[in-house]
This record gives sequence, C-alpha cells and structure tokens, in this order.
Amino acid sequence: MEFAEFYESTRDDCLRIVLLNVGDRQLAEDLVAEGFTRAWTSWRKVRDLQAPHAWVVRTALNANVSRWRRHRHEVVLGSHDIAVPADQGAAISGELVAALRRLPLRQREVITLRLLLDLDTETTAKLLGIAPGTVSAHLHRAAETLRSAISHPDDQEITK
Amino acid sequence: MNDNSALDTLRDSLSTARDSLTEVHMTMPLAAIERHGRTARRRHKLIGVAGTGAVAASAALVVGLTGVTGSAPAHSTGTIRTAAFTLVSHANGMATLTINRDVLLNASTLQSDLKQDGIPAMVTVGSFCSSDPAPADFFQVVSFQPRSRDNGPTMTINPAAMPAGTELSFGNFQLANSQQTSFALINTGAYTCTSSAPTAPPPSGVMLSYGGGTSPR
Repeated sequence: MEFAEFYESTRDDCLRIVLLNVGDRQLAEDLVAEGFTRAWTSWRKVRDLQAPHAWVVRTALNANVSRWRRHRHEVVLGSHDIAVPADQGAAISGELVAALRRLPLRQREVITLRLLLDLDTETTAKLLGIAPGTVSAHLHRAAETLRSAISHPDDQEITK
Repeated sequence: MNDNSALDTLRDSLSTARDSLTEVHMTMPLAAIERHGRTARRRHKLIGVAGTGAVAASAALVVGLTGVTGSAPAHSTGTIRTAAFTLVSHANGMATLTINRDVLLNASTLQSDLKQDGIPAMVTVGSFCSSDPAPADFFQVVSFQPRSRDNGPTMTINPAAMPAGTELSFGNFQLANSQQTSFALINTGAYTCTSSAPTAPPPSGVMLSYGGGTSPR
C-alpha cells in the first residue's frame, strides 16, 4: 500500500479515536498529524506492520505536538479542506469517555488498541513492547475503572 | 457479568462514542504531512552529520545546532550546557536536567531548550503555575536523583509518559539566601499561577530549595 492511500483511508478513523482520548479537536488533529508524519518518515517499516493505523494512533497518543502548534497557521492556510469548528470535540460527552481520558496513558493505550481498534492481545503487546500478560493486566484494571465510572457517575468530576 | 461480556459492553459503548463522530474529519492535507516528514528527515540527517564530524567540540556544537535548526527532533541526542543548567538528551527519548545551584535560572532559555527536546514545559521565575486537580502522572514523568552538596537538583524526564494535553511547570523563586523551585505537571488548558513562593510542595509535585544564585544565567 502506498502512503497516500493509507493516509486517505485511515486518517478520519485515527482522528476520531485520538479525539475520544484527548477531547480537544485541534490537539487531536495535531497529534494525529504527528503520528502520520512519523509513519511517512518510517513508511518502509510501518507499512509492513500488522496494523499500521494502530501504530499511528499509538504514536499520536505519545507524541509531542509543539512543532505542529507553531505550524498550525501555515497549514490551515494551505489546506483546501473545510475547516472544522475548534469546539466540535465538545460535542463528545458521556461518563465513559470522560473516564477514558482520566486513565493513565498506558491503560488508555491498551483500551484504545484492544477495544477501539480490535487488536488481539498479542498484537497489542508487540506494538506496545510489553508482555501479553501486562496487556491483560492493564486491560483488566482499565475496564474496572471504566465500569466503575459508568456505575457511579457522580464520584468524579470532569475537569476540562 | 463475566469479563468477556463486560469487555464486549465496553467495546460497544466506545464504538458508539466513536461512531458519533462521523462529522469529524482530518483536515490536514497529505501534502502538509509529507512536507513535515521531509523536514524531519532532513533534520535527522543534519544532526547525524554534525555528530559524526565534530566529536571534540560536541558540547559547544550541540548548543550551536540548537540555534540553527530551531526545533530539533524529539529524540535527538546531545548535551546543552549553559551556566544555569545542563540538559542531556538520550536516544531513548528521555532527558536528564541538572540545575546549577549557584546560578540564577534563565526561564525562557530552559523552556525553549526543553521544548526542542520534545518536553513541553512552562518555566517561570517569580511565579508558579499549577492545575487543581493536578494530573496524577508527575512521578512517572520526572524522577529526581539524590543530590550532592555541590550540585543543584538533577532529574530525569520521560516525555513519553506525559499524558496528552499536559506540560511540566517549573516555578523558580529567588529567596534571600537560596533558590526555591517547584515542579509539577499541569493541564495545558486548565491551570492557575501565583506570584507568591509556595510554602509547601504542590499536590503530586515537588518543591526544592538549594544554593544562592549569585550570577545571571
């Protein structure tokens, strides 16, 4: 698969998954852009992975986006796409998503890869560079937290 | 409910949340991704060439390169040494920061050098910014090393452990006979700042007093 085809076919899904994780539309796009940029620079390696789009999402969740913030103005002016209002992410609601965002990064990664991207435990472990048993432990812990948040929505408040 | 059906329920709920975002589209054109990719690739090559050719002057060269390249890649290696601090970037993406106990901190220089190292940070002198509640991951991001009599604080920073939407906050205060710096992780979009020197460590953070601070930068 060529990078252009990969980008066109996966970019929206990657953005929506990262947006669920971070809750800020522009931040999510910056993070995903950084993930795709790193995929572009390492495309020979990334294209052979079992789930390249999961690699992009995982990279995005770990990325630092300060350089995209500096370039945002230039990029927006260069785009011919329709701009999306910055507060669109605010439309996402629900205790489950709020609880997802409060999870530690590693647990969020596991939930995202296992439940949102439907990777199996082995593939998730390989992508994260951890043992399959560790994936299961993080998944169990994160699922407990999410279930608890849904069961007791008033126990914690959203801070952002 | 057993584990599998509980996970299925969570999967369904998260998928529903994702599917509610069908109106959200990535606006970044492919050309912008490729352009930034080419820039990053050139930068990696530039750093590599510089590192190979000038071992003897490595410290000075890296300081010079910082100014030339503007934004170094997050995981480039090298050392930035100023009178006030030393910042060592490791190949695994982590960085070690040592603050000179006897020299006053130059906030903008440290903040800029941390950012070029892939570490978003707000460094302030005479004020300190914090979030309430604070992101809970501070001690996964920053680990302090034991201090010797002659050195100021030394810490290892792991930017990969920083949750999205957070940055580090360093607030330095020049006291009568010493310096005091508070360290915390803050939410980029939700924090408050105070110009009073903290009297206690921030929640999920650290406050250190050291040295005298006798000369700028």
